[in-house]
Amino acid sequence: METLSLDLYDIQGNIMKNYAESGFIKARYLFFKIINGSEGRCFIKGVLGYITSAAPWTGGAEGSAGVPWPTATTNIAFTYNGLKTLGISVQTLQSFPDEFIIGMRGRRSILGDNGSSDPEHWDPVFHKDIHIFISIEGPTEKAVEDRYNKIMEVIAEHHIKGVELLDGHRAEKGEADKPYQDASALYEDGLPTAKEHFGYTDGISNPFFKGMTAEMGELAGGGKKNNKGTLGYGNPELDSTWLPLETGEFILGHMDEAQEYPVGPMPPLMAKNGSFLAYRKLHENVGKFNAYLDKTAENFPGGKELLAAKFVGRWRNGVPLTTFPNETEANALSKQRHAAVAAITLATTDEDKIRAQEAFRLINKKFQAFDYNQDINGGRCPVGAHARRANPRGALEFGHEKAFDTPSAVDNRRRLIRRGLPYGLAVDPSSNDGNHGTIIMTIHASIKRQFEFVLQQWINYGNDFKLANDKDPLCGNHAEIEGKGDGRMVLQAGKVTDAPPYFLSDMPRFVETRGGEYFFIPSLTALRMIADKIVDPT
Amino acid sequence: MPNISGKAYALTTFCPIKNGQQGGVSNGSMIRKKLQELPVNSNSPMAAVPNTYLARFYVLDNAIFQSYPNALDTLQSKYLVFSSNFHGDLDAYLKGMWNNASVTIKYIWADCVGFENVNSADSFLAYIKKCQVYTTFFFNGSTDDSLQEQLKSLFLKQAFSEFVFKHQGAPASQLLADFKEFIAYSQPKVLAGPTWRAGADELEGIVINKNLSTTADT
Repeated sequence: METLSLDLYDIQGNIMKNYAESGFIKARYLFFKIINGSEGRCFIKGVLGYITSAAPWTGGAEGSAGVPWPTATTNIAFTYNGLKTLGISVQTLQSFPDEFIIGMRGRRSILGDNGSSDPEHWDPVFHKDIHIFISIEGPTEKAVEDRYNKIMEVIAEHHIKGVELLDGHRAEKGEADKPYQDASALYEDGLPTAKEHFGYTDGISNPFFKGMTAEMGELAGGGKKNNKGTLGYGNPELDSTWLPLETGEFILGHMDEAQEYPVGPMPPLMAKNGSFLAYRKLHENVGKFNAYLDKTAENFPGGKELLAAKFVGRWRNGVPLTTFPNETEANALSKQRHAAVAAITLATTDEDKIRAQEAFRLINKKFQAFDYNQDINGGRCPVGAHARRANPRGALEFGHEKAFDTPSAVDNRRRLIRRGLPYGLAVDPSSNDGNHGTIIMTIHASIKRQFEFVLQQWINYGNDFKLANDKDPLCGNHAEIEGKGDGRMVLQAGKVTDAPPYFLSDMPRFVETRGGEYFFIPSLTALRMIADKIVDPT
Repeated sequence: MPNISGKAYALTTFCPIKNGQQGGVSNGSMIRKKLQELPVNSNSPMAAVPNTYLARFYVLDNAIFQSYPNALDTLQSKYLVFSSNFHGDLDAYLKGMWNNASVTIKYIWADCVGFENVNSADSFLAYIKKCQVYTTFFFNGSTDDSLQEQLKSLFLKQAFSEFVFKHQGAPASQLLADFKEFIAYSQPKVLAGPTWRAGADELEGIVINKNLSTTADT
């Protein structure tokens, strides 16, 4: 395998690392407005020391690689208007991609944010001038709170009046004055899970790209299909079936899948090792989901849990349906993963934590190293299931081997790094009200080609999957007319059994957008240059 | 083979526009205005022309070659470009076009050189063939079937989907009875039976059987 050495000390940690997998299951997300550019730069200088890089958490002792295991993480990103207020030159500003300049709200028709997802219903904070995004993650609420206090102390210490923490995040009872968005893993029997409010284990699979080591992700299932001979059609559990994606799909300043350097801001130092982030607050209509599932399951031959699994392509415990069609086997595997996740959280020493992570990765491989080659027709995992839509794993040749140069030619440029955690609690399983859902952050070199395309073409449309205008069952923006949804899904017939296909209809909108914005994640070098006002495009 | 892919034909024509004016408006601008005012979708005059998969009109001012160095072909006149992808034979298509849209044809082509002599299907055919250029390569985004067959297939596919969604889990006896009714109504083998209108750009409602939902064109 070709190796690429990335400067992990220069890349922000949230790009390379899913902190939740290190037991950092609590988070706080902050939005700031910069009123005064020079004070804004002073604020950045003050927080620079807290920013978490992608360096491995393996020690940091003199001469050794990596950094010590942190108490909390902090990452920072900027909107277009933020960069403008910070004094970035017009030439650099104009070199940013259009969709970033326009912002998420302006792209609502592409994103399908209509009806109850329309920006007019978003949390008040998204109607304000968001300039800076700071995310804090930690293993406990206290760790997050402590780091939050440190960040706020920067403002107090330097008497910064020109930077304002924006309030207007909706809280539990609908009050809209929270100055931050808290998020947390959900608990079951006192143990943290990776589940969201519908009960699905979330955020399992992430892309694997050049420059990542085995500790940072899973090549098998996370990479792209190998394009040499017929290797890409091989057993998906073998590493030889896969290749790492090009780094430039996710990090600016590196070559991408088109063998080009991605479009990014000028000068090159501003772009290099940076990326783009789409933040989205998604409300989950738990009542609608449970009611639909219960009602539809009454007639569905496979029962409720299989029906829930068919929506997503994974059992609710996260085990892939295509490789584990048997629920008992899936549950056994899930128990192992559950224990492995808990072991990371419970580990006390750094060595124990690293060991627990290794054990977790071994089990987690079963959750990632698969494709749909044995399930092209969707008899196990429906072609329109959420996880298969969002990441088709080379299944868009529809069984016509060698239709493309590589089996995953059509999806290699649409991959998304996913971060985020659930927020709020769905106390009443029959209610849609309250403030609970998922904060999802996707990271990519191109918001337009990756995030927006996936949402527009794969989540809210079905043509690429030969599913006409069917939408993603779970995340699609199904219309509701007089209280009845118009969402549809075909559960394809099984190959082995002679079960007929099953048709789901009248799906309401299960997930609603409550806000979001596009951000630029600079490298630590670029961040320092922004703070020093020395970004010079000439 | 140029112009043809399977049973689909790609017609490309460049019809010279008079270099004159009428009331201070150039002939080219006049045509452009007429084209921009044409009704669209199922109201388009081309929707009435049998077997039209896709038709396009535009006015070509000049031929610009974008490269280094750039090149500009200054044409002797502006051209009305008419291109159409359709099913079947060119002569039959153009005759069908004249017979179903002669008023529009005369209106659009009025400012083209020599079109005043066109007054029949045969003379229209001769005029268009004189202006035809070889289509060396085209993408046929359609099947090889006639437009009527395609519209009927699409209608049947959508109507049958509706039927399936409405009848999932229904007892066999009811399923059989309703399916017979569905077949009787949708007349799968009768192209002129319930079907989509040419040029329709959105679903207009489907009747599955008489106690269910809205209307279709018959």
